[in-house]
Amino acid sequence: MNRTKVNQITLCAILVSMALVLSYIEHFIPLQMLIPLPGVKLGLANIVTLMALFFLGTKSAFTILILRCILGSVFGGGISGLAFSLIGGICAMTVMYIFKNCKGISIYGVSMLGAAAHNIGQILVAIFLMGSVYVIGYLPYLLVVSVFTGLATGSICAGVFRILKTNTQITQN
Amino acid sequence: MVKKKGMRLSFCKGDMLVIFFVTMLAVLIGVVFLIWTGRDRGNTVVVYREGKKVQELPLYVDGEILIENSYTNKLVVKQGKAAIVESDCPGMDCVHSGWIQGKGRSLVCLPNRVEIRIEGEEESEVDFIVR
Repeated sequence: MNRTKVNQITLCAILVSMALVLSYIEHFIPLQMLIPLPGVKLGLANIVTLMALFFLGTKSAFTILILRCILGSVFGGGISGLAFSLIGGICAMTVMYIFKNCKGISIYGVSMLGAAAHNIGQILVAIFLMGSVYVIGYLPYLLVVSVFTGLATGSICAGVFRILKTNTQITQN
Repeated sequence: MVKKKGMRLSFCKGDMLVIFFVTMLAVLIGVVFLIWTGRDRGNTVVVYREGKKVQELPLYVDGEILIENSYTNKLVVKQGKAAIVESDCPGMDCVHSGWIQGKGRSLVCLPNRVEIRIEGEEESEVDFIVR
């Protein structure tokens, strides 16, 4: 009992740091040169949310999400950055939680839905922060982009999950 | 605690449905937005800082201004289009967004909390029948 608890905490900590590193690395991927829209990114940290959701359960996934958003804003995102990542992240997690046990959808679909939800959440924050409804004009573009970024992160997740499937040590938690 | 048994790891039909759904949602929002803003080209460039209107510029008079907040954006209005050509914000999405034209279109600099929007002047259409 005690052992699994320690395992869980350690795994959470590792996932938080992984998420932070992934969102840092993301800055170096010049996706915005390709698609010049505010808020466009690969969403690599979503991989961690998906992993946590599947391997550690909803409660830990939520904790990891909150921690990585707060720490991320400390390392350079600021308060408005916190609002964006937190609301976007919570939206993505909620949608992925709803659809993760949906039988007809694979990890690719779940990931795409998560990316789309993340963008919708971010647009909502932008509407609130900018005090302007016109920001919605960006949403169609962001949604189309989220199909592709969702597929990309989904394929990474599929690869990671395949490897982890053979490793019973982690799944035992 | 672990529920990953029902997880599919390879692309399947349901995913195509998801792609279709998200794309349709995008198209729907886009169409609604276009209908809402109309095909009007607009005649004023309005600068919003933190949601408040701070400045208005005529769209058909070339000019440039600096918008200061946490960072500084350089806004240029030229031949009925507007763009942020310089900015010291991180990411510089606003600069990469390029030139915008048409009523309802906007440029956003999230780090600087600035939005630049092309609007139509309130109810004074009669002044502007130029063909």
